[in-house]
Amino acid sequence: MARTLAMFTDTSLCIGCRACQVACKQWNELGLETPEWTGTYQNHAHFTDKTYRLVRFMEAPGAKPNGDLAWLLMSDVCKHCAQAGCLEACPTGAIYRTEYGTVNINQDVCNGCRYCVASCPFGVVAFNEQTGTAKKCTFCNDRIHNGLGPACAKACPTDSIQFGFRDELVAKAAKRVETLKGMGFKDAQLYGADSNGFLGGLNAFFLLLAKPASYNLPDNPQRPQRNVVVDSLLSIGSAILVGVGALLAFRERGKGEA
Amino acid sequence: MLKVPGWEMSIVWYFFLGGIAGGAYFTAAIADNFGSRRDQAVARVGYLLSVPLVAVCGLLLIIDLGVPSRFMNMMLHLKFWDPMSIGAWAVGIFGGFTFVSSVLSFTSSESAAAFRRKFSLVGMLFGFFLAAYTGVLLSNSAMPFWADSRLMGALFLASGGSTGMAAVALIMFITGGSISETWHKIEVADRFSMLVEILVLAVFLAVLGSAAQPITSGHFAPLFWGGLVAAGLILPLLLNLFGGRVRALGAVSAVLVLVGGFILRYVIVMSIQG
Repeated sequence: MARTLAMFTDTSLCIGCRACQVACKQWNELGLETPEWTGTYQNHAHFTDKTYRLVRFMEAPGAKPNGDLAWLLMSDVCKHCAQAGCLEACPTGAIYRTEYGTVNINQDVCNGCRYCVASCPFGVVAFNEQTGTAKKCTFCNDRIHNGLGPACAKACPTDSIQFGFRDELVAKAAKRVETLKGMGFKDAQLYGADSNGFLGGLNAFFLLLAKPASYNLPDNPQRPQRNVVVDSLLSIGSAILVGVGALLAFRERGKGEA
Repeated sequence: MLKVPGWEMSIVWYFFLGGIAGGAYFTAAIADNFGSRRDQAVARVGYLLSVPLVAVCGLLLIIDLGVPSRFMNMMLHLKFWDPMSIGAWAVGIFGGFTFVSSVLSFTSSESAAAFRRKFSLVGMLFGFFLAAYTGVLLSNSAMPFWADSRLMGALFLASGGSTGMAAVALIMFITGGSISETWHKIEVADRFSMLVEILVLAVFLAVLGSAAQPITSGHFAPLFWGGLVAAGLILPLLLNLFGGRVRALGAVSAVLVLVGGFILRYVIVMSIQG
């Protein structure tokens, strides 16, 4: 496996210009969608089968060091989890991990069962009615295999989205958190940078200025498949009870006759 | 924030019919192996019922795919820890078991019947699997309520048992097979299943607590409490227990169990996707 690639989204640098969102649409030829009213500048409300990069706009009263209203901005994307629920759920093998550690959906293999949609802890994977397949960020698989960074990272004018080797980006991100804390952003924190943390770390990780919930991110997302063994054993227990019941009902006491 | 998979009525029907197919088959295998010669009537009905049901299940699964022509892609891949993957395999393999057991249920050869009994004991494991795995599939997702339910598979299995037995009993009632001692046995077996189902459902709700709200309160609550708990479990259990020798009451009990089994799948699948 090649050295793991990552995207580091530093939300403290995001100006909400949506160049990433547009670049993603253009490069990946994602079609037109009907806009949705969200009550903020954000559009769409969530990831869709045609929106893989999504700039979230959140108003946070009192979040600035001087107590002023702050706009929390975040360019959100598929996290390319090291332990990816979608990948584990996929029964066809269409969802695979590339040699760079990113997670991709092979559109020629996906048959549209949608278990990945139900298994993404972040609500990223979306079903496309036209193709009948699941869609999500490809980490610009075509570009990274041809020596280019992902379109979103290339387009970002403030380096809020950075692309590179994961280990280098994590080190850089840790320094950035310290700098921000020194500037008074006391809640500055990394999300998904720790490869010993939740989901084995995220290959698209974030620097947040407030707690994850402020960005509608789960605090501690979990592998959806973590309970398969327990749930199966409990099912076997139920099978034994029902089976023994049937056995008692049907068994013949004096064997042989009848 | 989370996205629902959009599994709707075809999946509700699949979960319901798959439960009946699994339940009817494992009941048949138990009756065949441990019952009397006369109980082979139950075995035959169970085996024969499971064949068309599994076929319908396969079709329901295929038409629900985004690209139905690619259903074979699931057969080119196997993940033993993934309910969707082993489930697709199990439907196919179980289909083979139901067919062979059904054909052999007409044999007059004692050696073929002996083979059928052993064969069906193996098939029985797939029957249990088909009844339960759909619950484990839901409970191993990222969806709230589904993922919080540790007993979803256990509950679906008990419901598969009670509905499978109810379906066999109902067919025997309609075809005039209800006069035998065998009819009484299937009623007793169904009684056990209903008791297990009520017990599992109670623990299921207790463990979930407020996470069960999608079905216990709000829009789906009347259907859950009235349709499943009262009319689909407690009433048929009372009819089964106190119906005495009135066979029609036994048949009514079976119909109610079947309706309750459908409502169970419906409220669980649809409540969080509405």
